[in-house]
Amino acid sequence: MDGRTLEAVRYLGYGNHAIDDCTLELISSSFKELETAESRRIVYRIFDVSLEDADCVMIGTMKIKSRKLGINLEGCERAVLLGATLGTGVDLLLRRYALTDMARVVVLQACAAAMLEEYLDDWQEDLRMEQKKEGYYLRPRFSPGYGDFSVEHQKEFLRMLDAPKRIGLSVTDGHMLTPSKSVTAVIGLGRYSVSCHQSGCRECEKADCAYRR
Amino acid sequence: MFLERLGKELLYYDGGMGTLLQSKGLKPGELPETWNIKHPDEVTDIHRQYYEAGSDIVLANTFGANSLKFHDSAYQLKEIVEAAIRNVRKAAALGVQDEREVYAALDVGPTGKLLKPLGDLGFEEAYEAFREVMQYGEEAGADLIHIETMSDTYEVKAAVLAAKENTNLPVTVTMIFDEKGKLLTGGDVPSVTAMLEGLGVDALGINCGMGPAQMLPVLEEIMEYASVPVIVKPNAGLPKQRDGEVYYDVEPEAFAETMEKILDMGACAIGGCCGTTPAHIRAMTDMAQRRRIKPPVYKEHTIVSSYGRAVVLGTKPVIIGERINPTGKKRFRQALKEQDLDYILKEGVIQQDRGAHILDVNVGLPDIDEVSMMQAVITELQSVTSLPLQIDTVDIRAMEAAMRIYNGKPMINSVNGKKESMDAVFPLIKKYGGVAAALTLDEEGIPSTAEGRIRIAGNIIKEAEKYGIHKKDIVVDVLTMTISSEPGSARVTLDALRGVRERYGVCTMLGVSNISFGLPCRPVINANFYTMAMHSGLSAGIINPSSEDMMRAYYSYCALMNHDENCGEYIRQYGNQTGTPLTAQDTSLTSSMTLTTAIEKGLKEEAHHAAAELAKTQEPLDIINQYLIPALDTVGKGFEAGTVFLPQLLMSADAAKIAFAVLKDVLAKKGGEDRKKEKIILATVRGDIHDIGKNIVKVLLENYSFDVIDLGKDVSPETIALRACREDVKLVGLSALMTTTVVNMEETIKLLRKEKPDCKIMVGGAVLNQEYADMIGADFYGKDAMQSVYYAQSVFAGSLS
Repeated sequence: MDGRTLEAVRYLGYGNHAIDDCTLELISSSFKELETAESRRIVYRIFDVSLEDADCVMIGTMKIKSRKLGINLEGCERAVLLGATLGTGVDLLLRRYALTDMARVVVLQACAAAMLEEYLDDWQEDLRMEQKKEGYYLRPRFSPGYGDFSVEHQKEFLRMLDAPKRIGLSVTDGHMLTPSKSVTAVIGLGRYSVSCHQSGCRECEKADCAYRR
Repeated sequence: MFLERLGKELLYYDGGMGTLLQSKGLKPGELPETWNIKHPDEVTDIHRQYYEAGSDIVLANTFGANSLKFHDSAYQLKEIVEAAIRNVRKAAALGVQDEREVYAALDVGPTGKLLKPLGDLGFEEAYEAFREVMQYGEEAGADLIHIETMSDTYEVKAAVLAAKENTNLPVTVTMIFDEKGKLLTGGDVPSVTAMLEGLGVDALGINCGMGPAQMLPVLEEIMEYASVPVIVKPNAGLPKQRDGEVYYDVEPEAFAETMEKILDMGACAIGGCCGTTPAHIRAMTDMAQRRRIKPPVYKEHTIVSSYGRAVVLGTKPVIIGERINPTGKKRFRQALKEQDLDYILKEGVIQQDRGAHILDVNVGLPDIDEVSMMQAVITELQSVTSLPLQIDTVDIRAMEAAMRIYNGKPMINSVNGKKESMDAVFPLIKKYGGVAAALTLDEEGIPSTAEGRIRIAGNIIKEAEKYGIHKKDIVVDVLTMTISSEPGSARVTLDALRGVRERYGVCTMLGVSNISFGLPCRPVINANFYTMAMHSGLSAGIINPSSEDMMRAYYSYCALMNHDENCGEYIRQYGNQTGTPLTAQDTSLTSSMTLTTAIEKGLKEEAHHAAAELAKTQEPLDIINQYLIPALDTVGKGFEAGTVFLPQLLMSADAAKIAFAVLKDVLAKKGGEDRKKEKIILATVRGDIHDIGKNIVKVLLENYSFDVIDLGKDVSPETIALRACREDVKLVGLSALMTTTVVNMEETIKLLRKEKPDCKIMVGGAVLNQEYADMIGADFYGKDAMQSVYYAQSVFAGSLS
């Protein structure tokens, strides 16, 4: 199984259980269908970072009250803000199958999430190389909604990236990203490397989560 | 006057504003529009430089001045717009020394929000936001409205309608296309062009997103479809990043050089966008001094479109799916009465899968509110299919309501040769855009000769011209009459088809299957008549794409007439068949599997077959109790025990659903009544637009024979309470994904307690847990979908006993 399939299986809540052929086939055809429906786009900018105090971070002009983000960005001078989306085509696909085939919806949903993660990982690898030349090391991606980093920052976050215009990524009044298969994240840039976890997932306090790594 | 010059001489827009303001000290995150009042001299100075560089049209600094985007406590929108226009006027007085006529444009950018159904911004809300700023702009003395940097056809439609309905100003529109010629929301050049021209914009084109060189292929495509003058406003190259800052690096000379090519290709008005400066515009206007305009050329394409797809009529025949129509369909009428939109939407999706290119939408029934039903069906259909729609109604109010909210350029079914009909329909086509199906009948009825029908077609085309509607937007339906009562009618229809094509050069359509009414074995006659009609010049047949006979006729005709390259489509359809129907071998494939196994394994076709087989010998209710329910229980228990997972649970649910449908049909044929089902309301609470969890619960509850009233997502507490009271519902299920929307869940529970105290409430969703559910006062927390089934069973078991 390739990486994104493994990831999709995890999102589907299989944990360590073996997956049946039928579902595996569904996963593979879902990825195929997503490849024609998605139009992935990413936008990012680099801002200066300062830590006001233990639970307040300034990124550019955005003031964020979050102890967890503060820890994540400790020792960083700058940070990348990024927004990425798979586009409205995926949402339309999900709506369409919701009428006739919920199993496929659930699997498409998991595959889209895995696809988006993989996209970000690949993109981040390029960023890592590029920043290494400048003498910066990357911290793990940290998104609004992780820990005490409130999703209410989404709107300002997107405005700083001009994301609605650049990649069609916007936010609802309830702070949800639209299109739904989208991500915003902060990546700290520090002068030293920290040996650390791969994902923000473990930062979450919901220890009994079925999808936890 | 602007409109007198547009398209007759080259006109020049200005260049970028944002980057210049930043260089004068605008901070990231600061609203540029506030500078109109805070720093009027700086803004005026930029405008002046553009006028001096040769711009005829300067855009006021109002790009983000709409109530959805502009939130500033210090300034009112109205004063911002007034100041912005004033600054442009002042700049013209300072910068234009050669007495040429120049214009101040109100600049209108996007709201920054995604419209429903994928986002949360309502079409009318968007319209209101645009209307407000546009009225301020006209009052402040703007000469035109320039709507730009749009990437959503629906949002731009709201903006154009707002401009047209509330001001008398000329309207020009430019959109962002990417290198593939697509909008961010999927629209392509023909669909965007067709919609905007239908709405009556004065000029259209492309801006932002790319540099001039990358725009060339997209411009080429625009020139192929656009009849109005075309505008091109590129960035100074593709955006690049340095130290986290965005910059553009195409220099003025290089910019001007490509702009020359753009003029050669036929652009009538040019300017710049992000990264361009007065120097770019100066180089561009200097270059253009040696050029003359290529006037716009009228294009004859008949195009209907949706947000993401255009269908061009006239060469290859097109299929209009006829199934969304209650005529003669009991189940469909029932769905309309019960507002069962899912059933109607499925009809749409199935037809798309079977090969339809356009879907006819008719929801007329004497005892329903057709206006609101039509709007709901159009909106929802457009969120599950990208096929263009044909709005089919005799109710002129429903027609207008549907045209208003339709995302694209629809087909309209229909207008006819009666004066009353043309007086009602043509103004709507003129205003909203659309392709009219024109029936060849008039006050005298339907002529019995081809010549008579051709004559009426001519009258309709002539009358349309009075409204400024070109014949490319008329598709003539010469009418199909059954041969069983009028023996010569097929010949008349075919002659009329040829006649209107030859005489007027217009596209044609027909409701094909009328031909066989009253005859046995109708598909045979239908399919043959369909082939003859296509060969006589039929552009679009209204047919049932699920009819294999019709589709065979269609694919054969396309292959035979070289409308199907290398017979590719034909081979795709029939490459695996030997010429005999599939069903025989299907039977052997599936007969061995029992219904129980089919459901447990989640195999739909097998479940369908097994249920049908069983129904030959056993009573439907016995089958449900002895096979279906036990199979579902087994899967449900497996899910709880952690041996069956969500995809499998849902595959089984879908298979069971299909078996139920088979048995329901059998029951209905035997005249048996469905037993009265317990009603449950499901909804995702206000502010929450994720409905996957709710939909999973819905499928399972329906499996267990509950009557689910699905209110959708982002549903207000009032809507839920009202429906619960009206239908006396005893159980409501609420879903929320995010902590920020759980407050709305709590509010909904409070309202339900007050309005419908005897109603139980179950909740679920990613952020909830038992503690949280208790805190907001829910009766039950379902940690997964099966739990909600068990709870529902216990609630209604209690109420019965």
